[in-house]
Amino acid sequence: MKSASSISLTRRSLLTGAASAALLPLVGMPKASFAQENVVKIGFLAPLTGPVAAWGKPGLDGCKIWADWVNEAGGIEIGGKPYKVELASYDDEDDAGKARTGATQLIRENDVKFIMMLGGNSWPGVEEIAARQGMMVSTLLPSDLTPDTTTLIAPCEVHPIYNVTGVDWLAANHPDLKTAVVCAQDDALGKPSVATYLAAFEAAGITMASPPLFFDPATTDFAPVMTQLLANNPDILCLDTCYADYVQPLCEQAFQQGYKGKIISCTLDFYQRIVERTSKEFMEGVIFQFPDFDDKALNDPRINFKKPNEFFAEYVKRYGATEWSAVSWEYSSILDLWADAAQRAGSVEPADVLVAMKEGGKGKHAFGDARWWGKDLFGIDNALVGDWPVVVIRDGKATIAEFRSIPEWWDKNGQLLVKHMTDLGQMWNQRT
Amino acid sequence: MPDFLLQTVFNASYAASYMALIAVGLVLIFGVMGVINFAHGELYMAGAYAIVFFYVWSGLPFFVAVALGLVFVGCLGILMELTLFRPLRTNPLGGLIASIGFLLILQTLAVLGFGLRNQNVPPVSQGRITVGGAFLTYERLYVIIATIGLLTALYFFLRKSKFGWALRACAQDREAAALQGISINQTARYAMFIGAALAGVAGAMTAPLVAPSPYMGHSVIVTAFIIIIVGGIGSLEGAVVAAVLYAFVHTFVTTFYDGVIANIVGLLLMLAVLVVKPQGLFGVRERA
Repeated sequence: MKSASSISLTRRSLLTGAASAALLPLVGMPKASFAQENVVKIGFLAPLTGPVAAWGKPGLDGCKIWADWVNEAGGIEIGGKPYKVELASYDDEDDAGKARTGATQLIRENDVKFIMMLGGNSWPGVEEIAARQGMMVSTLLPSDLTPDTTTLIAPCEVHPIYNVTGVDWLAANHPDLKTAVVCAQDDALGKPSVATYLAAFEAAGITMASPPLFFDPATTDFAPVMTQLLANNPDILCLDTCYADYVQPLCEQAFQQGYKGKIISCTLDFYQRIVERTSKEFMEGVIFQFPDFDDKALNDPRINFKKPNEFFAEYVKRYGATEWSAVSWEYSSILDLWADAAQRAGSVEPADVLVAMKEGGKGKHAFGDARWWGKDLFGIDNALVGDWPVVVIRDGKATIAEFRSIPEWWDKNGQLLVKHMTDLGQMWNQRT
Repeated sequence: MPDFLLQTVFNASYAASYMALIAVGLVLIFGVMGVINFAHGELYMAGAYAIVFFYVWSGLPFFVAVALGLVFVGCLGILMELTLFRPLRTNPLGGLIASIGFLLILQTLAVLGFGLRNQNVPPVSQGRITVGGAFLTYERLYVIIATIGLLTALYFFLRKSKFGWALRACAQDREAAALQGISINQTARYAMFIGAALAGVAGAMTAPLVAPSPYMGHSVIVTAFIIIIVGGIGSLEGAVVAAVLYAFVHTFVTTFYDGVIANIVGLLLMLAVLVVKPQGLFGVRERA
């Protein structure tokens, strides 16, 4: 062992010391600078890879725009102090086990104050840890809600309930269409959506030409699925909430097998590709629920989403026009609600923000003022529900045809929805 | 109803074609090298991405891109043989684990090179054949024709050429083949090239129909394993017959019932074959 007196100044230690001294300002100064700044971290826990990535990754891309804009404007003023917003993301691959690992990391290591999820297949992995930590979590799929999920909110998408607006609009504008068929992947996303479409068709007086067709999520060839769907010559082909990777081949198959009727779908992500692979004429009039945000109808004063057209332009500039998906704006709209609630609460703590967000039972949803709702369907009023757009493909471009009220439909037809949800085992007290 | 049945036959023929290509490649590799190649689905994926690169990005004619994809994926197979399977020849379990590692490497490379999202491959043709009320698109017809052509060529190659005899000899008894002067290394290289290239062609030909993604290999490998078990592990004829049988059963059940039941029926088919004929339809019973 060397004694202190025996340590001599070698060339190596001299160089190391000199290098350390040179690097010290680079390392130390930003730390001193960041120490002056308040930072709030938001967790993003959604599929960034795999077949469901189209409903995660574009949302994270949208959130980056939101965070950049907020931080460039000086951050969020909370409790009299400006907060910089940082995003911490974790790829849950739409898997409950990975979502649990991700939630643990985001809470313990990243110290996030709020977690945004796609939900559905991944939520069961997070449920326990969210309850134990009191972490506020948002889902795009309110079918995750139960009376026990008190810190889980669905402040943007009321999937699949908004699908009723598309059917309602279709029935009002095309009263000649009388029969429908529906297909979906056999999972937590497809089934409640099928129940919703069945209720909406029944409410509109449209009969089902054949029972709902559930296919394996691992399906790669959709020709047999489409052959079966078209066997009874339906007027309406409903693609339910099929994943983006399924909607395209299903539409192609419908085109190739000579379908001439109307198509309705929850989403139509990357629809330009589908138009390219079929034809403008074939896709004309296809109805779905997710607008492009360059739509002028979104400049209506009742719309609460901030600068939708500019957001779309920035998104296209950064990532390309064909990268826009159903969720590109959704997580950002949730961040709007969170920021507004945090400002009103004067705190970033999840419990305070949640109370402020639900204050008065009303909230500013992206598509207009809405109310916290859901007790009759989910056992808890944690879904923000109001108007939702009906989008139609016109000349190869998604166009908002009309905004329709979900609560109005519910008030008239709620029991039908409960009946079909119950039949498919999708009520909150039936799900395992 | 006849149109409906004919449409289902068209659908099943297409499914049988590309699955036969994949399964025959898998059987060839197993037969000659004794390795269960878990990365075979990713070779199929590599073929599909070859189309993205050569056809979509580089603008080459589709069938030129398919030919280049065949060579590219065949070379990937040779790379696997040289770097993974040859050093682990005496350790079949090691080869299997190495193939799983290679599977992950190929997936990661696909993500790094092409991104996470499905790639859009523009239609090669929008033409279709109409028979009564049933349709068969040219794109699907090309897959069927390519399969018939390639499998016929493979049949004659194995039966009539010196290299084909060497492959069959190695598949029957590697040590005896070596004693006859057949190079095991060279034969293994041929087997990997051909087996990988067949998977690559399947991926390349179906790329416009499936929208390639880094994880597309998962969906076919399980089915391919079911097919080679039903056909008899190591039997090329068995793989073709089982691919046709499985595809027709699966497609008809999907069309008349649903896809979930079709998967169950497919597994039941495998179970029934294993109970009645444990070595598979065309498999040879091993001597005790």
